[in-house]
Amino acid sequence: MTNTIQILSIEKTGKESSLQKEHNNKSIKIIDGYFFSKNLDDQKFTKISKLISNDVSQTILTKKNVNKILFSYSNFNWAVEIKFLPGVTDNIATTVKEIIKDNLKDSFKSFELSSTKIILIKGRKEDVTKISKNEANPLIQTIKIYPFKKYLNNFKKNQFKIEEVKLPKKKYNKKEINLDISDYHLSLIGKLGIEENDKSRRGTLGLDLESLKAIRNYFSTIKRKPTDVEIETLAQTWSEHCKHKIFSAKIDDIHEGIFKKYIKGATEKIIQLRKDNFCVSLFTDNAGGIEFNKDWIMCHKVETHNTPSALDPFGGAITGIVGVNRDCLGFGKGAKPIANTYAYYLADPNKKYQLYRQKNKDPMLPANFIAKGIISGVRVGGNCSGIPTPQGNVYFDDRFAGKPLVFCGTVGIIPKKIKGKLSHKKKANPGDIILMAGGRVGKDGIHGATFSSEELDPNSPVSAVQIGDPITQKKMSDVIIRELRDENLYSSITDNGAGGLSSSIGEMAKESGGFIVNLEKVPLKYNGLYPWEIWVSESQERMTLAVPPAKVKKVIKRFNARGVEATIIGKFIKKEKAIVKYNKTEILNLDMEFLHEGYPKLNLKTSFPKIKKEKKKIIKKSSLIDKLHKLLSSPNIVSKEFIATQYDHEVQANSIIKPLQGEGRVFGNATAIKPLFDDEKSIALSQAAYPQYAETNPYDMAGCSIDTAYKNLIVSGANSKKIAILDNFCWCSSDEPDRLYQLKEAAKACYDYAIAYQTPFISGKDSMFNDFKGFDKTGKSVKISIPPTLLISSIGVVDRISHLTKITPDDGDILLVLGATRNELQDSVYSKIIGYEKSKNPVVNSKDALRTYKNFEKANKLRIINSAIGIDLGGLGIAVIKMGIASKKGLKIDLKLKNKISVDQFLFSETQSRILISMKKNKLANFKKIFKAYDYTIIGKCTGSDVIEFKDNKKIIRGKISDFAKSYKQNIKGL
Amino acid sequence: MNVLVLSGYGINCENETLHAFEVVGFKGKIVHINDLIQNPKQLKNYQVFAIPGGFSYGDDTGSGNAMAKKIMTNLYDQLIDFSLNDKLIIGICNGCQILINLGLVPSLNKKDPEVAMIENKSGSYECRWVNLKVSNNKSPWLKKISTMNLPVAHQEGQFMIPVNLLKNIKANNLIGLQYIDHQKKLAKGQFPFNPNGSKDDIAALTNQNGNVLAMMPHPERAFYHYHNPNWQNNTSKKFGDGYKIFMNAKKFFA
Repeated sequence: MTNTIQILSIEKTGKESSLQKEHNNKSIKIIDGYFFSKNLDDQKFTKISKLISNDVSQTILTKKNVNKILFSYSNFNWAVEIKFLPGVTDNIATTVKEIIKDNLKDSFKSFELSSTKIILIKGRKEDVTKISKNEANPLIQTIKIYPFKKYLNNFKKNQFKIEEVKLPKKKYNKKEINLDISDYHLSLIGKLGIEENDKSRRGTLGLDLESLKAIRNYFSTIKRKPTDVEIETLAQTWSEHCKHKIFSAKIDDIHEGIFKKYIKGATEKIIQLRKDNFCVSLFTDNAGGIEFNKDWIMCHKVETHNTPSALDPFGGAITGIVGVNRDCLGFGKGAKPIANTYAYYLADPNKKYQLYRQKNKDPMLPANFIAKGIISGVRVGGNCSGIPTPQGNVYFDDRFAGKPLVFCGTVGIIPKKIKGKLSHKKKANPGDIILMAGGRVGKDGIHGATFSSEELDPNSPVSAVQIGDPITQKKMSDVIIRELRDENLYSSITDNGAGGLSSSIGEMAKESGGFIVNLEKVPLKYNGLYPWEIWVSESQERMTLAVPPAKVKKVIKRFNARGVEATIIGKFIKKEKAIVKYNKTEILNLDMEFLHEGYPKLNLKTSFPKIKKEKKKIIKKSSLIDKLHKLLSSPNIVSKEFIATQYDHEVQANSIIKPLQGEGRVFGNATAIKPLFDDEKSIALSQAAYPQYAETNPYDMAGCSIDTAYKNLIVSGANSKKIAILDNFCWCSSDEPDRLYQLKEAAKACYDYAIAYQTPFISGKDSMFNDFKGFDKTGKSVKISIPPTLLISSIGVVDRISHLTKITPDDGDILLVLGATRNELQDSVYSKIIGYEKSKNPVVNSKDALRTYKNFEKANKLRIINSAIGIDLGGLGIAVIKMGIASKKGLKIDLKLKNKISVDQFLFSETQSRILISMKKNKLANFKKIFKAYDYTIIGKCTGSDVIEFKDNKKIIRGKISDFAKSYKQNIKGL
Repeated sequence: MNVLVLSGYGINCENETLHAFEVVGFKGKIVHINDLIQNPKQLKNYQVFAIPGGFSYGDDTGSGNAMAKKIMTNLYDQLIDFSLNDKLIIGICNGCQILINLGLVPSLNKKDPEVAMIENKSGSYECRWVNLKVSNNKSPWLKKISTMNLPVAHQEGQFMIPVNLLKNIKANNLIGLQYIDHQKKLAKGQFPFNPNGSKDDIAALTNQNGNVLAMMPHPERAFYHYHNPNWQNNTSKKFGDGYKIFMNAKKFFA
């Protein structure tokens, strides 16, 4: 009789080796444990352990063999037991349950189990504590450290415990909330949540006083008190996360708000100006859609998942990526995800920031733990979903120490017409059944939408953390995309993300009028949830469908046949009412109009910020080669190959321009996929953000982001008439006038440059309070705000395979820089590392830029250009070295400089809108027919040797490509 | 010529695998594992059974384990029958891991699985292109192929084989593919040529008959010339190296 199954690998696993390496070669062995809520008799133990282990590579521990086996590895003296807290998603446990159910049929019913990692260590107590800190997150996991002897004792006496979710058995009584109270008490409800009978609070609602007063007024007009469910629902629906109140607020004299004027305004203007509109679906759906070819639409959406990733980096990031996949599944009638994108803005993983959420307690996770967790969260989410992840980048800055930024994006594709109907149009009809498909509902992610709109402070709730389950989602997604959609079995579909059912049903019901939901029908992970919790829970992997009654049986049958749950939970109605019942008691009854539009509109004022002048840094004297090595090995330029190789970018066999380019594998700034086997068109993807430029001039910063994201697509070979962009604003302290000023400036630049480049915004998202308020290690209170960060993602169509460019020149090619170079070293990588004297920040001149891009496009189509790379961080010097590393071919650069510019300025200035190209010498005549002399500089040639040479007057400076590659491919310290 | 391409529970390379078979001349169908369990007789209509790559059950309890157990409980005899007839079976990546867990390769003792797939030596997921050579193996899948450049993408690609069995495997020429370095010599475990540390640089195994191939690299992702990493330097051919594997299946039945 026993209640655990414990398995270990006979040979040392990769994980064990890397742990050993990290911890001075301590002896380490990791046991996969499965703790059961019920005892297993010998027969069951044997059967189940055989099902979940491998005879060849693993050993199953038993009371008889445990001593002997473990001693054969080492004289361990400590054990660290790590398992999930009750209620936290445990994907391994789910699989094991399914294996048991599938293979043992009915012989073993109703049990709980928890997957556990037990790390055995030979070392001192300090080592053990350090390892446990590196391997577990106390927010979602329990960590027990005990002597090895006790471990053996536990093993022999069946003393491993599983913590089940135990919620008090509670009978639900409809709860009415009295809002006729003082402003002070009213604001407490907003800040701390609804008060329970025992005086405890449910957690922040993120509602300000004005919103609560609006709710009070509404209910006094309809002459009754609100229920708790109604207040919770309004908090979700009105959250900054869902309603984007700052972007829609009147700001200074802009009555219609930033979004309408600058973002949507730009797109509308572009559509009006252009005869060839390729936009299909804008801003209203889960993602933005544009035409791919005559039969297909592609859609793109980029989301952020910052706050959850600060608390649980792995869970936050995996939820981010599978969440944005669902935005794609929820685009139109359901688009198939065909590529993921990522961008991480992180603190230096090699630094110890030692920040605390509360004085001397509740520490922030270490920067390297956050970085590693985020990188692996997206790895597991993307790889397990079978969606390639080709495109991404990582940027490091101390100001992300309090809040990392995690951008996750997905591109999808859908036929224009399905069974003769336009696929991007959907409408829940009155009478349609509300069907919830996918995972079950638990306490996970309660208050996610409201708290992500707030600053990270001591009251941030831990139940706000979710962990994605990509396999459950993959099963659900396969049924929808492959079977239900193409048979036209539902009328509308959307994803359950922030705000859970309250948001998804609330949004969809706008199509029909209103809805009635019976909450007791919602399948739960465990009993004991309050109705309001069911209604707002953000448990992942769920889609909401509107299904005509005649088709609902068929739909449920299809889901079930693929191992996916689907449940009828209500219906859509014509009346514009939102109604929720729980066991026949009506607990919510709101007018749809009030639900969606009843929130008080903000009225914002901005003021010009004091610009903190960066102190001039003394230029460190060093040789050019030395400077190049320093820049190449700096975290923001160094290769991100280690991420590219962990992210499957080949699945779906659509990769055509890969993240690692050339024989020398340089991490590219644009990638491309070819989504259809029968069309040679490709989709090119890129992205750009310049948080380092933000404080100097947010307008120029936004200009640079748009220019870079656009340029990278042009350089990759995209058709300039088929490029669209997405905006993701991650701001800080958005209640402060100077931050709002920066926001307004950046948004204005979005308008100006989008119109100049004729690139419509098709989708966007904002996250406005990325600030950390807490304490340092001395107990002093600190506030760390991220630098304003605007990520522009670009997506475009490459018409022909032959238009796709490469970054590798060939022997004998001449090298040219397109676009002028100015002294714009301020805020550059060079200025950070080497220093700078008198310089300016990069400013985009869209007229000059467009001339370069148009000419490039023309020359590329005529096959004049042999290779090309967009110049960005580190300037021309770094672009040259990257070409050399990628091609493994020597280059000779002649630094005969005009225009009073110094060598360092020429090589390291981050002047925008420049492209480094190579071409065969005999194409120069044709090239000159397209480019005017002032638009390019011939700077050298490809020699094919093994060195890169710079000739400065008579001095020749050279470095070996292999040495440059070594610097460029260095490991990032701390990762 | 018909191919059945398996799907479900996190398998995710079924579309491109089917496409590759179709281009060389097969007719095919993606069949969900639950539908196959419901109606195993449909196997009669197919000459090739393909288990594509993916993440069945999220690799939990070991890559390929959970799906292999499901097949063992529900479809094992039918699959054995299939392999004993003059038919072909291929498992790619996760499919390879499933075949190994089922013991369909190398299948020298016809009983329990004898080989295990374990985590890459690097401890991390590896998505990269590798060079391979066909070992001395008579499998119809590998006929007339000498070397190939294909991508791998896996977390658990290391073949773990007990010493005596390895001898036996070599004696019977059951090693299908081996990782080689840029000079076309065996990688000898050297990363990144051998991406996972697999013993004897093994990337694929077959059964004795050669009709069952379990390979970690992905031929369907190297099907067209533009799949190759530096395809722009050589655009003369239409297909990539992976094409040869699918063509061999066609030739076997032609």
